[in-house]
Amino acid sequence: MAPVSLSKLIKKRALTPLFYRLVSDLETSVVIEDAEGKLLMATDGAERCTRYPVTVTGEVIGWVNGTEKVAVIASLLTCLAESEMEKRALVSETLNKYKEITLLYDMVEKVSSCLDTKEVARLVIEEARRVFRLSSVAVLLLNRETDVLEVVGEFGHEPGVTATVSRGVGIAGSVWASGRAEIVNDVRSDLRFVEGTDSICSLMCAPLKAKETVVGVINLGNDQPVTYTAEELKLFTTLASLAAVAIDNASLYEQLQETFYTTVYTLAETIEKRDPYTGNHTKRVMEYSLAVGKILKLSEIDMARLQLGAVLHDIGKIGIRDNVLLKESALTDDEFEQIKKHAVYGEEIISRISQLQSAIPGIKHHHEKFNGRGYPDGLTGEEIDITARIISVADSFDAMTTNRPYRSGLSLDEAFGELRKYAGSQFDPIVVDAFFAADVMEAFFAANSRRKIIF
Amino acid sequence: MPKVLIVDDEPFIRLLLEQTLEELEDDGVELITTDNGETALEIIKSERPEIVFLDVMMPKMNGFDVCNAVKNDLGISGVYIVLLTAKGQEFDKQKGADVGADIYMTKPFNPDEVLEKARSILGL
Repeated sequence: MAPVSLSKLIKKRALTPLFYRLVSDLETSVVIEDAEGKLLMATDGAERCTRYPVTVTGEVIGWVNGTEKVAVIASLLTCLAESEMEKRALVSETLNKYKEITLLYDMVEKVSSCLDTKEVARLVIEEARRVFRLSSVAVLLLNRETDVLEVVGEFGHEPGVTATVSRGVGIAGSVWASGRAEIVNDVRSDLRFVEGTDSICSLMCAPLKAKETVVGVINLGNDQPVTYTAEELKLFTTLASLAAVAIDNASLYEQLQETFYTTVYTLAETIEKRDPYTGNHTKRVMEYSLAVGKILKLSEIDMARLQLGAVLHDIGKIGIRDNVLLKESALTDDEFEQIKKHAVYGEEIISRISQLQSAIPGIKHHHEKFNGRGYPDGLTGEEIDITARIISVADSFDAMTTNRPYRSGLSLDEAFGELRKYAGSQFDPIVVDAFFAADVMEAFFAANSRRKIIF
Repeated sequence: MPKVLIVDDEPFIRLLLEQTLEELEDDGVELITTDNGETALEIIKSERPEIVFLDVMMPKMNGFDVCNAVKNDLGISGVYIVLLTAKGQEFDKQKGADVGADIYMTKPFNPDEVLEKARSILGL
């Protein structure tokens, strides 16, 4: 904290007139200098007979020169300077608290609307870097399958370091086990210290506790010897609890998403089970569609509904009788009319699920043709939703290239030829172009190796 | 000598702002404080401060009134007015714009940002 300046003190608006009155009432004159002897104030006819010090906590901050009458002025200034000093100490402490409040306010505002664990980790790291003296910081979260803590966000570590932490091992592992935040100001002399690639002298580690369970830790450290204070630990712990709530919230949301997508996918699989010849068709249509969507630079929202639409495009086939759906010979006109109903059945089934509304055009209209000769509504061109135009190409390509009971599949070249041939009549030419630009083979292999359904 | 006026009826906000801006004094800036709107208006008329940190919620003459008097009624130029509003308090942004405020700031304010803002306005 900056020392009290005598110059600022005597220039205070409220003080100056009182000061001159005091000098005049004392019937004397006065010269005031700072500790270095610089003139700060002088009244008329001043003489420098004796000098009296103005002090704060024993340190001289200036001199009052004059007759013995001015001694009282020096005492008065000393008294004012002391009280100014106390006021500053208080205000400065309050200002620190105020900065903490600002930090927490900012943090709450940012993380409470965040539904992605990695993003929460990034925000926490950003705030920690702003507030604490650190050279590195990491957010580690519990992987429930392996029961170790894994890094989800970090700053300042050696590139490629992806250390995991086991329960009770090292300082972070011990904080995980105890659930209590710690300061270790001399890391190397701590018995729990585990030699790593980073050279850390001091650290603070706080648990991420959600509903009384530790779901991770935040670890920050400095490669220079610094002494972290109890005050800093308190603020750090508060930051950690805030982060924990947000991370818990985000991971619940992620689980919900995962459950949702898995349910959707399972629904789609029931259809594949009825028609085993189509094995993996759903996954391939999804991968082809996503590859095309990426080339066409669809928005994140469109990509999500494209994926859902592609996965569920044939869901309506549940309503088609086996003797028609699984018929190995050519269909009669009447049977074909029945097959065509799957587009509308799909819409009917999915319309009950509010989260899937945006996927309906992709399901209902994936048999529409660009020239208006498709079904069920005979839409043309851009009347057909973009997701449906994409799924149409992906679905047709996969149908052409796979073996069916009544015919063997076309070669890739033949299938590409067919797409080209019907671009503009059956298919949207822009989508066909995008299909050619996309890496179809990569999508094909991705479909076979994909384990998780969501992105 | 450039001047910065701090107007708030809550003493601790005045102290905090004063302390936050204190280092400007080393660049020859004079900090003036007052706890009410009427005095603030008098000081603005006579001292012509470069920046005024002006609390909105004050008894009798509030921040909007002071700002309106300065910017619209008196047409005083060269005064940058920062309105201070409390977090969570409904702040009428349109009203802030109508009375001619240059910017508004919510309390609790971030001391570092306040100092930086003041420096940039004063060209320091």
